[in-house]
Amino acid sequence: MSKRGIFLLIISILGALILQTSVLPVYVDSLFKPDLLLVIMVLLALRVSYGTGAPLAWLLGLLKDVFSGLYLGLNAFSFLFIFIIIRSVADRLYAESGFLYVVTVSVATLAGVTINLLLLLLFTNTPAIAYSMISGLLPHLLFNAFAASLVALLPLFASVEEVA
Amino acid sequence: MSMLKKYGLIALIAGGVFVALIFFSLNIPRNREANAIERSVLYIISPVMKPVSRISFFIADIWDGYINLVTVRQDNLRLTRQIKELNTRIVSDNEALLENRRLTRLLEMKETINESTLTASVVGDDLSNWFHTVIIDRGSSSGLHEGMAVVAAGGVVGQIVKVSLDNSRVLLLTDHSSGIAATIQRSRARGVVKGKGDGLCSLEFTTREEDVKLGDQVIASGVGGVFMKGTPIGEVTMVKKGEYGIFQTITIRPAVNTEHLEEVLVVLKGGI
Repeated sequence: MSKRGIFLLIISILGALILQTSVLPVYVDSLFKPDLLLVIMVLLALRVSYGTGAPLAWLLGLLKDVFSGLYLGLNAFSFLFIFIIIRSVADRLYAESGFLYVVTVSVATLAGVTINLLLLLLFTNTPAIAYSMISGLLPHLLFNAFAASLVALLPLFASVEEVA
Repeated sequence: MSMLKKYGLIALIAGGVFVALIFFSLNIPRNREANAIERSVLYIISPVMKPVSRISFFIADIWDGYINLVTVRQDNLRLTRQIKELNTRIVSDNEALLENRRLTRLLEMKETINESTLTASVVGDDLSNWFHTVIIDRGSSSGLHEGMAVVAAGGVVGQIVKVSLDNSRVLLLTDHSSGIAATIQRSRARGVVKGKGDGLCSLEFTTREEDVKLGDQVIASGVGGVFMKGTPIGEVTMVKKGEYGIFQTITIRPAVNTEHLEEVLVVLKGGI
């Protein structure tokens, strides 16, 4: 990854963190909050190699755990798992496609919630969280897809004309 | 002849003045009615007056509305700036007033707590949608430890779970992982308040025989030593006793609106 790429990544992560912890909660209901770190992680999974991306995905998850819930390592595990799955098929996909990116973020959201739910049910004593997670899944999925579609407008994705 | 030349003009002027005086004096009794001269003059002049007056107004309009606008733009900018400044001041005054009310209520709460407390502001929310924690702007440098109780003007907020140097995370009472020993104020029935994740809580482990009614106030029982006995937790909004089972299903609406927390009090007692 180039120095410019690292710089942009750090700025994006910091921006996402501030936006998600201090800005969005003031204006939107907690159900309608996108998971911007997941959106960044999926971008990494589609574009960056295993060697660089896997530790970054784990660190992104860990960063999310620092600012969320009680269980350090929960999102770190799910992010790493999702990264590996996406990375393993990314070479066979047209990673520059914005549409594919939105679909991948949606699938990653579903996978993330499923993995987190399984881990919480297996290792913690909070069975009732399943209701909260399942009832909040649809808005979460839609807002993640919306955030991903905004990212897909950036120049690093191919335009519709180019795809055609 | 020379006399006439010498005094003729004076006599004429004097005569004219005298005639004018006589004319004036004759018209005094009829000062409210137009005489022939007035009527004639008005009759002649009035057709001219109207268009001239319109033209004058038209010119005045052009002058005021188009030509004499040199300072209007500056005035406009100045007034717009003033309006913005005044609006900003009104908003900040209102904000200060609301903050004052909140802090007054917080101070009232503080006076009911026997232990020393520390005021903190909420600076961040939980990243995920299903966990309910907030970040406050006080940490270990202010003497905070994990396990300390956090309250607001209305009652219990939660418990400190993670502490860094200048920030801490507070587990809200609405989180699934939260559990607070509680008592129904009226009947002294006991249970554990657990978060339901949707802004509400449930009172668990309260047996079917216990007397719990809608609207009952739920307070901290003091068991466990984290929350002071009697601190308000919420109000019972639903009670359900099934045909089977040992316990009742009780839903509680927290006394504190955890969605809009701004300032909290950390009770500087206990902790890990």
